[in-house]
Amino acid sequence: MNKKYYIKDYVILRQGRLIRNGEVLLEAGNPELKDFLRKIYKSFGMRYPKFFKMDDLSRLGFLAAEILFDQEKPEADTALIFANSSSCLETDKAYSKTMSGFPSPSLFVYTLPNIVLGEISIRHGLRSENLFLVQDRFEPTTMIDYSHSLLNKAKASNVLCGWVDLHNTDYDVFLWQIAASGRLEHNEEELNKIYLPE
Amino acid sequence: MCAVAVTGMGIVSSLGKNLFENYQSLNTGKTGISTPEILQTNYKDLPVGEIKINNTRLSNDLGLNPGHSYTRAALLGCMAVRELLHNSGLSEFDPGTGFISGTTVGGMDMTESFFDQFSENSENLRYIQAQHPGFTTEKIAAYFGLNAMVTTISTACSSSANAIMLGARLIESGRLKRVIVGGTDCLTRFTLNGFNSLKILSGETCKPFDENRNGLNLGEAAAYLLLEADEMKGNRPAIARISGYGNANDAFHQTASSQNGEGAYLAMKKAIEKAGVDPVNINYINAHGTGTGNNDLSESVAIKRVFGDHIPEFSSTKALTGHTLGAAGAVEAVISIMAIQNQEVFPNLNFSQPIRDTGLMPETKLHSKQLNYVLSNSFGFGGNCTSLIFRNE
Repeated sequence: MNKKYYIKDYVILRQGRLIRNGEVLLEAGNPELKDFLRKIYKSFGMRYPKFFKMDDLSRLGFLAAEILFDQEKPEADTALIFANSSSCLETDKAYSKTMSGFPSPSLFVYTLPNIVLGEISIRHGLRSENLFLVQDRFEPTTMIDYSHSLLNKAKASNVLCGWVDLHNTDYDVFLWQIAASGRLEHNEEELNKIYLPE
Repeated sequence: MCAVAVTGMGIVSSLGKNLFENYQSLNTGKTGISTPEILQTNYKDLPVGEIKINNTRLSNDLGLNPGHSYTRAALLGCMAVRELLHNSGLSEFDPGTGFISGTTVGGMDMTESFFDQFSENSENLRYIQAQHPGFTTEKIAAYFGLNAMVTTISTACSSSANAIMLGARLIESGRLKRVIVGGTDCLTRFTLNGFNSLKILSGETCKPFDENRNGLNLGEAAAYLLLEADEMKGNRPAIARISGYGNANDAFHQTASSQNGEGAYLAMKKAIEKAGVDPVNINYINAHGTGTGNNDLSESVAIKRVFGDHIPEFSSTKALTGHTLGAAGAVEAVISIMAIQNQEVFPNLNFSQPIRDTGLMPETKLHSKQLNYVLSNSFGFGGNCTSLIFRNE
């Protein structure tokens, strides 16, 4: 099946910058991750108290998704296809530190990377297909194949794809939506161009 | 209706180190729940479904050299896959055999033991990568020389149910002709402390579906099925068929299930549709039934929504095995197939009083019953709900 799909829109969170469809919406210098996250939350006027309970990986994925869904709420059968390379290692470490005293339930619940998908699903009531891949590096082929297969088989009307990685203090977020028409074709070359600009 | 053939299986759990021992325990209602002896923890009194064979004995049994880097989940996985091979009627796995393994703990038993020593002690550096769940899968694959499609699914407590579903889909679509599917998880301090911090561990053997249930018991296990396309099966018998599967997200809470059991309802409904049967054709449900207040209520509500006035006989076998997390779906797939093979419903232990709001009564006694279709539920953190349907060949 060679039906073509297109990149509808995208968001990048990297080094204190928030970029949507090539446009820098927020430039925060290079603040601490927590401050950067709070700044995005505030500047978009979000009101979602559960945000403050999330771990940093979930906050990154959640915020990026909110920015993409800002104009247009997702259809109920929007699939979520995400990936990263560091899984939820940051939260694993943070939780494991608490084990010597009082193990933290609020950290333990985030010691699974797919909780990011759960948070986005809860926010928008999505009971749709979801997948979180752990890969060595950003390598969109699997996500492309998987999302096209879902669309071709009408298992989803829309797909939100994403790379949400957090390792030590380095974060790297790239989320995009797929559409039936558009300017940029949804393929490896275009995605790599957006992910790694010259 | 075409359905994927299951041609072999293997299991090691707190009920026993092979199919025979597991069946004996299920048949006599002998629980595998005890207190930790092998797991090093301060929680000496918390009941767990622990396999009383330490890693050295497992390694010796598997003929591994000292200095290997197999995690406990990999050792248990090798035991179960070895049994699967023995009873599959094959002499070895052919090169096209895929391997899909579910796990949620992966090799954290090793990283939690050695994390603090990694910087000083180079001897254990071989376990650094064990944190990645795929490491454990790769070790099992290496032991059996499996190098076709090898992948890991980690969706918490539905991991191995999803591995079975993926394997069935790969056979149906013709991508694979033969695939080993299932999962493995071992006890760790990480999970014991974590579930304890969520206040969902019971201080006694769990009481699934009882009004006074007060939590779950963690367990450890490995269980695998061999799935084959009919052309590969030849004259070898199928022990059962996978006729339906469904997965849905509950989209409610990170760790809790919704009041109306929406995810569980959708998963069961999809599985029944896929199987192409009416709900009344389901003869028995091996429920997720962890024994927590939240799960059992939510699952009961979902079962009532799917089956209405015709609730099939059901039981949770977790008071026997403990909740083996990522392995639970595969453990209960093996138990469901044993139920079909023996035409027997296994008991839900420790039940005395139905949940007030739903009034459902699980089966508490072993008994014979004609079983054509058995449904097995597995629900995981993150809202990941999966149902599988096994059919009598």
